[in-house]
Amino acid sequence: MNYSAAINTQSALPASNALLQVRDLHTHFITDSGTVKAVNGVSFDIERGERIAIVGESGSGKSAMAMSLLRLLAYPGKVVSGEINLAGRDLNRMSERQLNQIRGHEIGTIFQDPMASLDPVMRIADQMILPIMRHLKMSASKARAEAIDWLARVGIPDAGKRIDAYPFEMSGGMRQRVMIAMALSCRPKLVIADEPTTALDVTIQAQIVELLKDLTEQTGTAMVFITHDLGLVARFAHKVGVMYAGKLIEFGPVKEIFAHPSHPYTQSLLDTIPPVDQPERRKLAQIPGFPPDMKLPMVGCAFKDRCAAAHERCFRETPELKSRGLAHRAACFLPEGLGEARRRDMEPIPTLARNSTDRVVVEVFNLQKHFTGRSLVPWRQPATVRAVNGISLNIREGETLGIVGESGCGKSTVARLLLGLDPVTSGDIFVDGTAQMVFQDPQSSFNPKMSLFDIIAEPLVVTGKGNRAERTARVHELLAQVGLDESYAKRYPSQLSGGQRQRVAIARALAIKPSVVVADEPTSALDVSVRAQIINLMVDLKRQLRVSFVFISHDLLTVSYISDKIAVMYLGSIVEYGPADEIFRHPAHPYTQALISAVPVPDPVAEEARQKVPLSGELPSPLDLPPGCAFASRCPKATALCRAERPVLQAYSGSREAACHHAN
Amino acid sequence: MTQETLALSARSLPRLNWPRFRGAGRLLANGHIRLALAILVPIVLLTIFRPVLPLPGPLDTDLRAMMQPPSLEHLFGTDRMGRDLLSRTLAGVQISMFVGFAVALVALSFGLIMGTLAGFFGGVIDRVMMAITDIFLAFPSLLLAIGLVSVMGTGMLPVVLAISLSDVPRFIRLQRSLVLSLRTRAYIDAARTVKASQFWLMTRHIVPNTIAPLLVATSIAAANAILVEAGLSFLGLGIMPPAPSLGNLIRDGQSYLEQAWWISTLPGVVILLIALGLHFLSDGIRQVLDPRSRK
Repeated sequence: MNYSAAINTQSALPASNALLQVRDLHTHFITDSGTVKAVNGVSFDIERGERIAIVGESGSGKSAMAMSLLRLLAYPGKVVSGEINLAGRDLNRMSERQLNQIRGHEIGTIFQDPMASLDPVMRIADQMILPIMRHLKMSASKARAEAIDWLARVGIPDAGKRIDAYPFEMSGGMRQRVMIAMALSCRPKLVIADEPTTALDVTIQAQIVELLKDLTEQTGTAMVFITHDLGLVARFAHKVGVMYAGKLIEFGPVKEIFAHPSHPYTQSLLDTIPPVDQPERRKLAQIPGFPPDMKLPMVGCAFKDRCAAAHERCFRETPELKSRGLAHRAACFLPEGLGEARRRDMEPIPTLARNSTDRVVVEVFNLQKHFTGRSLVPWRQPATVRAVNGISLNIREGETLGIVGESGCGKSTVARLLLGLDPVTSGDIFVDGTAQMVFQDPQSSFNPKMSLFDIIAEPLVVTGKGNRAERTARVHELLAQVGLDESYAKRYPSQLSGGQRQRVAIARALAIKPSVVVADEPTSALDVSVRAQIINLMVDLKRQLRVSFVFISHDLLTVSYISDKIAVMYLGSIVEYGPADEIFRHPAHPYTQALISAVPVPDPVAEEARQKVPLSGELPSPLDLPPGCAFASRCPKATALCRAERPVLQAYSGSREAACHHAN
Repeated sequence: MTQETLALSARSLPRLNWPRFRGAGRLLANGHIRLALAILVPIVLLTIFRPVLPLPGPLDTDLRAMMQPPSLEHLFGTDRMGRDLLSRTLAGVQISMFVGFAVALVALSFGLIMGTLAGFFGGVIDRVMMAITDIFLAFPSLLLAIGLVSVMGTGMLPVVLAISLSDVPRFIRLQRSLVLSLRTRAYIDAARTVKASQFWLMTRHIVPNTIAPLLVATSIAAANAILVEAGLSFLGLGIMPPAPSLGNLIRDGQSYLEQAWWISTLPGVVILLIALGLHFLSDGIRQVLDPRSRK
C-alpha cells in the first residue's frame, strides 16, 4: 500500500456529528471490454444510530457502493476516488492492515447469502469467538460467553449448545441470525447489510427485520441497508437513498420520500408496486427501456431516456442532488418530477363480468402427493414426506388462482402435478384442454442452443400443429402478443434480458392455446420495474385471451393483485381458500393473518400503524406431522383441541373456506 | 461476489451460447487455440504431403548412409539401416494420428450413446451400465491395453480396440454426469408439458448441450491415445517393425542413445509436440465455451 497515504488518514472534511461521511465516491470495475463506472460520485452522511436504506435495481451500483465503504470489492473492482470519513479518519486512504482493524470491529457486515458467508467447515464458535477476542481484547472463555450471549439475543434457542454446531446444521433463517450476531458481537458503530433477507421466506424475513431493528436500537448501531424491496424500506429505515446508474438520485427521510417523491425514477418505482388496497384495479406503472450502459460516458441525466418528463436540458446537463426542503434532496431539474404525467399510464382495469356458469377448466379433488424415501431395513416403514396432503380446487375459464405459502408448503409440487410432470399419489386432476407452464428461473428455462423461434414453436412442432408457414405466423403473432418485435425470433436466449426472457416464456406457454397457464414464481427473479411490466402483460393476456392462470408466489402483494381467488397453503394442505380481495383484507386463518402481516407494505405511515404478528419459529419438518393442526406449533391461538384434532376446510363467511377451529 | 457486481461483469462478458457457424471466429480469437493450430497444422500437413515431398520412402534402406546425424540431406538423420528418419517419423505420425482419431471417434460415439441412455433413463439400465464401467475403470488403462494386445495379437486394430476399451467407460461416465445435470432443467419440463417424446428430449435438448464438454474430453483422449500407442509400440506390443510408429522408432533408437541420440529423441519431440498441441486445443475449447475461466 501507499505508505505516505497510510500514515496520514486524517480527514480533510470539517468535523461534524455524523458517524460516517461519504463524499464523491467513485468505484470502477476494470474489465476487458471497458471500465464499468459502477459508483459515480455518491455523497451522504449517516448519523449515529440511524438506519439508512439504499434502494435501486440490479446494476444500479448499490451493492458496489456499500462494499466500497469497506473496500470489500471483488476483483476487478476498485475505489477510484472519494472520501469515506469514519469519526475523523478517511477509510479510503487507510492501508489494508489498518482497515482490517475497522472491518468487523467498528463496521460490521451482513451479506445476502448466509451459507456463502459462513465457512461451512468451521463451527459457529470458531467463526465467532476469534473476532471477539481480537477486537474486544477478551480471553477465550469470556469471548465464548459473549458469543453465546449474542446468539441468545438474536433468538437462537439453546445457544450454549448451538454455538458448537456447523452452519449446515442450521436453517437459512438461523444462519442469518448467526450472521447478525457475528456482525453485532464486536459492538460496531455501523453495520452494512447487503440484502440480508432476500434469500429468506417472507415470515422469516419479518422476524429478521424486527430483530435487526430491535438490536440496533438497543445498541445504538447505525445501519446501511441495501435492498430492492421498497416495502422493507418503509418498514425499516429512517432515511432512504435511491440509486440509479451509480448515482444517488434522491435522498431523504423515508416518510418524506414515500409521501412526496420528487425524482421521476422514484415516483415510477413507487408506482410499480401493486397497491395494498385499491377500490378499482389499475395497471401498474411501467418504466420503459433499460438502464444505461455504465461503460459509456454519460452526458446529461442518466434517466433521461426512460423519463416521460425529459426535456432538452436533461440531455445537456447532469442534474445535481439539490435540496427539496428539510433533509430531502433530489437530482432532477423539475420541481415536481413527472408531475401531471405521473400515473398517466396507470389505466383502470375493467372488471370482467364473471358468473358461476363459466366453464370449469381445472378441477382438483383430494389431491395427494407423497415422496417416499428408502428404508435401510425391510421391516421398517420408510420415511414419507406428504408434500401435498389432500387438496381440492377448481378454476374457471379466465380466472386466476393464486397459491401462496412459505417455501416447503407444497405449492410448487401442486404446479408439477397440474402439469402432469409428476405422477399423483392419489386423488384426481381434471384439466379441460392443456396446461402450460411459465418458470421462475429465466436462466435455465430455455435451451441455450435454440433460437427463440425454435423455442416458441417447439410446442407446435411436438404436437404437430400447422405447417412451417403457419407456425411462423403463429410465432410472430405470439411475439407481438407479449410485446416483442418479430426480429426477436432469430435471437438466442443469452441475448435477452430477464424481463424479455419471461415474455418469451409466456409466448411459449401460450403457443398451443392452453386452457390454463401455471406460473411458478414468474416474477421473483425480476427487478421491480420489469416485474410490473410482466404483471401488466399477464393481466392483459388474461383479459384478451380468457386464459386461466395459476399464479404461485410467496409475494403476497403481487398474488393478491393479479388473482381472483387465493389458496393459502401450509405443509401440503390448504388452510384458507376464497376470493383474493376478501382474504387479503380480512384473513380468517391465523396463518394467513401472519403471512399478510409479514409482508412489508411500501408505505411508512401504514407500516407504523400496522399491528405486526410476526410468526415465531419455523416450518416444522414435513417428515413427522403432528396429529392435530399442522400450524399449532406456531399459532398464537393454539389450544389443546388444535393439538389433538386436525381441522378441516369449512365454509367461512359465505364465500370462502378456512381450516381452523377458531375461525368459525 | 455480490449480485450487483455479478450483473455488471456478466454484461461485460461475451455471449454464452455458441450458435451454429458463429463459433469459428471466436475459436480463432483464443490464444490457446491459435497456439494449438500453430503446432498441429504443420505436422498434419507434412504428414499428409509426405508421399509428394522429396523424401526417401520410410522403408527404403540406404546402406551407404547408416546412422547419419541430422544434416540437410536427412533432416532427422538416419537409422542403422540407413532409412530416412524424417520420413519414418512422418509415417509414424500418420499411424499415431489414425490411432488417435479412431480412438476418439469410438470413445465419443459409444460414450455419447450409452452415457445419454444411462443418464436419461436411470434405473436398471443406469445401474447395469455403471457396474460394467466401474469394472473397466478398476484396471489401469495401460495394463488393460497390454492384456488385450497380448490376447488379440499385435497390429493397428487391436491397438485401437485396446485403447478404446479403456476410454469408453470414461466417456460414458462423463456423458452420464452431463446428462444428469441437464435432465432437471426447466426447458426439459417445458417440453414434457406438451408430451414431447423421449427421443425428442434427448436429441433436441440434451445432446446438443453436452457436445462442447465432450469435445474437450475427446481432444484429450486423442492425445492420450497417441501416447498409449507409442507406449505399446515401445513395449513391442503395438505396431510391429519394419512399419514405423513413433513408439517403435524410439524403441529402435534406445540401444544407440549414446552413439545416435537423434533416432529416439526426434520422434520423442514430435510426440511431445502433438500431445501438447492437443492439450492446448482442449484448453482453448474449454475457455471459449466457459466464460468463467476468462479474466
